[in-house]
Amino acid sequence: MHIAVLAKVVPDYLVPSMDFELSNNRAHERFSRMLGLYDENAIETAIQIKEKTSGSLTLISYGSENDIQFLRKGAAMGADQLILVKGTSDDAAVIAGNLVTALQSIDNVDLVLAGQQSADMDRGVVPGILAQMLGVPFIPQIGYVDHENGSWTVTQITAQGKRELEFSGPGVLSITSIPENVPRIPAVRAIFAAKKKPVIKLESTDQKKMALNELEVAIPKIECVCEFIDVEDPGQAVRILLNRLNEERYL
Amino acid sequence: MPRIPYWNIDYGIIIDLLAIPVAIVFFYGLYQQWLLIKQGKMRVIPSIDNMIQGIGTFRLKAFLVRGILNARLYRKPASGIAHGFVFWGMVILFIGTNLVILNILFGLPVFSGGFNRWFMSFMLDLAGFLTLVGIVFFLVRRMIPPDRLRLPEARKGFVPVSGLLGLILITGFVTEGARIAAAAGSLEAGAFVGNFLASNLISPALAFEIHAVTWWVHGLLSLGFVAYIPYSPLVHIVLAPVNVGFADPAPNVKMGVMDFSAFENEDAEELPALGADKLADFTRKRFLDFSSCLWCGRCQEVCPAYNTDKPLSPKGVIVTLADRLASGKLDESLIDGISMDAIFNCTTCAVCMEACPVSINQPKTIMRFRQNLVMEQSRIPELMGKAVASLEQRAHPFFGTGSGAAEWRKDLDVPIFEPGQTEYLLWIGCSVAYEQRAQKIGRAMVRILQKAGTSFGILEESRCTGDPAKQMGNEFLFAEIAQQNIEDFSALGIKKIITLCPHCFNSFSRHYPKLGGEYEIIPHGSFIKILMDEKKLNLVRKDQLITYHDPCYLGRRNGIYDDPRTVIAGVGGLVEMPRHRNESFCCGGGGGNYWAEELGSRINQQRAGEAMETNADTIAVACPFCLLMLTDGLKKHTEETKVFDIAEIVDASTV
Amino acid sequence: MKTLIIENIDLKKIGELKTVSRYFCELPDIIALGEGDIPGNYGKAWQSSQTLPPNLLPSIVQLAKLENYEVILLSVSTLGTGLAGPLSAALSAPVVTEVTAIHSDMVIERPIYGGKAIIKQKIESTPVVLTIRRKYFEPEVLEGHTSSIPLNIESEKVQLISEKNEQTDGVPLEDAPVVVSGGRGIGNADNFSLLQTLADQMNGAVGASRGAVDEGWASPTRQIGQTGKIVAPSVYFAVGVSGASQHLAGIANSKCVVAINKDEEANIFNRARFGLVCDYQKIIPQLTQAIKENR
Repeated sequence: MHIAVLAKVVPDYLVPSMDFELSNNRAHERFSRMLGLYDENAIETAIQIKEKTSGSLTLISYGSENDIQFLRKGAAMGADQLILVKGTSDDAAVIAGNLVTALQSIDNVDLVLAGQQSADMDRGVVPGILAQMLGVPFIPQIGYVDHENGSWTVTQITAQGKRELEFSGPGVLSITSIPENVPRIPAVRAIFAAKKKPVIKLESTDQKKMALNELEVAIPKIECVCEFIDVEDPGQAVRILLNRLNEERYL
Repeated sequence: MPRIPYWNIDYGIIIDLLAIPVAIVFFYGLYQQWLLIKQGKMRVIPSIDNMIQGIGTFRLKAFLVRGILNARLYRKPASGIAHGFVFWGMVILFIGTNLVILNILFGLPVFSGGFNRWFMSFMLDLAGFLTLVGIVFFLVRRMIPPDRLRLPEARKGFVPVSGLLGLILITGFVTEGARIAAAAGSLEAGAFVGNFLASNLISPALAFEIHAVTWWVHGLLSLGFVAYIPYSPLVHIVLAPVNVGFADPAPNVKMGVMDFSAFENEDAEELPALGADKLADFTRKRFLDFSSCLWCGRCQEVCPAYNTDKPLSPKGVIVTLADRLASGKLDESLIDGISMDAIFNCTTCAVCMEACPVSINQPKTIMRFRQNLVMEQSRIPELMGKAVASLEQRAHPFFGTGSGAAEWRKDLDVPIFEPGQTEYLLWIGCSVAYEQRAQKIGRAMVRILQKAGTSFGILEESRCTGDPAKQMGNEFLFAEIAQQNIEDFSALGIKKIITLCPHCFNSFSRHYPKLGGEYEIIPHGSFIKILMDEKKLNLVRKDQLITYHDPCYLGRRNGIYDDPRTVIAGVGGLVEMPRHRNESFCCGGGGGNYWAEELGSRINQQRAGEAMETNADTIAVACPFCLLMLTDGLKKHTEETKVFDIAEIVDASTV
Repeated sequence: MKTLIIENIDLKKIGELKTVSRYFCELPDIIALGEGDIPGNYGKAWQSSQTLPPNLLPSIVQLAKLENYEVILLSVSTLGTGLAGPLSAALSAPVVTEVTAIHSDMVIERPIYGGKAIIKQKIESTPVVLTIRRKYFEPEVLEGHTSSIPLNIESEKVQLISEKNEQTDGVPLEDAPVVVSGGRGIGNADNFSLLQTLADQMNGAVGASRGAVDEGWASPTRQIGQTGKIVAPSVYFAVGVSGASQHLAGIANSKCVVAINKDEEANIFNRARFGLVCDYQKIIPQLTQAIKENR
């Protein structure tokens, strides 16, 4: 079983709003860089499949060489090799096209996993584009993945609940976070072993960009008009709150 | 008439000759103990002088004070005194018996004059009597044991050996009584027990027969007892003082630092386990700990985790290990038996170590398990895992904080450390930078230092010493962060550091030197005291009662109890909680448990309740984590805000 | 511009997309999925009972090419997200997901960095695929029905084995006029029942922050935020919710936020209209009681 996970190194997604700032229309360089939030869930899910099926796991990313140090965490968690396609584009089609090149450079990928969305652009669209380029099904928001009798059984977390789906052959799944795929803290031995795992660097190839023209990136202003209600006497506080909600026609 | 050895006894010399095989059996038993302990890993630390057998350095003072005088035992007066009766009683009786042998061999005149009356008769009778009192106390207590002895398991073997000792004493007294009774009418001066038995219980007619029988019974039982010691719990007579002698006297858990350079090599897979999962992973010193433990449960009784219904008992952990050691199961995994919850529930407050009469280092054993879980098995409770991941990714563990790195000093003009110009680095650390309540400590301290005119500066970007990683068992991450900090400090030429958090203080002063970072480290409370001594602060003493909560990492772990109290006394009236100084009760936040989903009841609520009961106006702390934990804990008891850091209190009292 | 809506048969969801379609055309076409009549008026309407994107895709691509659609509208859901990327690739169309505003001249807005920034982009060619973030556009009231042409599905690449709806009782979170949401400050799963009791009194629904879901106190279907559901109730009670930006992204369109949190410096107060700094266990039962009495 050979699983590929697509991951992206992004600026700290937990930077508090108050502290967030832009430079050149992107998150300021001063923020730490790290593996994307859902990408780690995807890696964890892949490792669990790998462990169950005694398979192998390739971590693929599109980004700069500087990202390798952060991708190593994925290797320490359990990926067997890293592939980095060197590039700087933010265009979903360009990223997807380059990731397809990387995927085609390795043999027999049985399943491709990606995080539900990158923690910077928040698009969630690259895995779908890539699936279409590969001609395989794409299913988003997957929690659990199982391999039985030659086909994949996956659980999609929908707005209403869950649904279990089955397909055979390769496919692309985007992974959401569930309690069972909390990323593991790599063991020390694995961290050292990861330093020796192969890193394949590929040059990016020309891809057709999407016809989107970025006009502006801005930080939305958050208004602060909070009216604090005295809670000395909870009963009184509740009455005031309900009155105010009625007065302002919220209720 | 002076006493005659072997009076009324034929072939009495047999008893003395039997002492030779008894001694052989006794020392063979001790040798067996050594064989057990020897199975532990040898410590190989080149910097330690006089390492004995890979166990450690032997310290005579500790051996004498805590090992022989048993100083800590008397913290529990009843059992302490009972133990004192038995121990010192037996010491005197042992001396007495040896004097008799010297009398036989060399004719040492012990049976005459005042010496016979006051020592050989009175002292020995008194010693025997008090020993018997102690034995009765212990036997009764074994029948109605307190929880600390009973739970989770009581050590077996105390009753037979105590009973045997009681019997020896009784037969000794009967022998003495019979001897005196045989002399028909003339009592022996000083021998008050013997005289009492002779006059009231033993008929002179039977005295010779009784004496002949009990003399042999007493003698043979005594020999049997001595031979039995190393095979019974009484082996602690030897092991406990030795264990105390080998204990590092510094007031700390002494986790040391780990060297990971070996992992860079190709054969990293072959390297020994990090931390411990099985008995064989522990050192000889820990094996000695496990063998010395009497299962007295004093550690359990004071443990904050145990006292709030968490699955951890420090006694339970040591008992499990002692059991395994006894059954020779060195290579069985222990962690799941002890439970991951128990291992992570330890707040590393070290109150168990402090209470242990035989100087066992329970937290170190627990931390070794934790290190193995985290560094070898990738197992860590989820919140702690997030904190560790954040520490790795963002250089601070406060994931999801609403504050940016510079928010704590917003609208405050704080100087940045200038190489060659600034004297002190004011180390902000993680909580003071990223936790909104704790930020006020940093602001208060900056104002104090500015009022006092201290030459200080901060680092551009606040970060962590790595201590939370260490506490959560991730020594590797700690080492990485510490080494980075040391490099940066060297580049800036930093020599003196003021810390706001005892965890930072402990890290800098205990662990950084071992990684090559030597600095003068001053906790903020002590620095404020210096400023007060130098009259650099204009303090107004207010009419307020303040109680002080000792942070574990300042107090028990570093012995700093007085400086913060002096500071508090300078601004208000100090009132102590029942558990204070070295017996202080943890806030619950140590050992990374600030990031824990607490099991059982809440430690911080218990401690906050204790602080409330002092009726103090203010609860002072000297640690941001204690501040956060107690602030939260106090909400169960009152709506009022009463918990403040000493820097905040001093800042509010300066003009 | 020729516009196609692809959506499950659901009044609210189709209504929102119908509103959005007004930016591009008079009357859109629709591919409606699921059983039942297609609500509202459309130029052309296709229908299929198939709801799985990989199975639908070939037919949709064929249709889109045949009809030369310039704008394809989806909403942010497993359906929309499942279709958007593959459609974009198959049609060589630009795709913009999670659209929150549409301006003239094909300029659209969407949040990035977990809602900490907003990016404005101009669509420079058609066809274009858009997924619309829910609750940002008032749903059009759909009247009447349109008869449909069946959409042929050639093969099923993916089989549906089972479907389980966890939110069977009560009002759907997205449509609730009142949402009572709990965060990590709730402390345990049991206390969520306090929130449920309050929600029940107001015909509302219970939500949860990512923290509470991660703890396992609430089911993932209750999660509100950037990565969960987006809600737009009249009143949103945030109880023990710290107010991470990801969470705020999910409540951006709530009309009034009431924050109950014992940490007076919690970020949620920066978003709240009314704030109560206290232990929620003191307030929630009182509030439930008071509302009960008012009725």
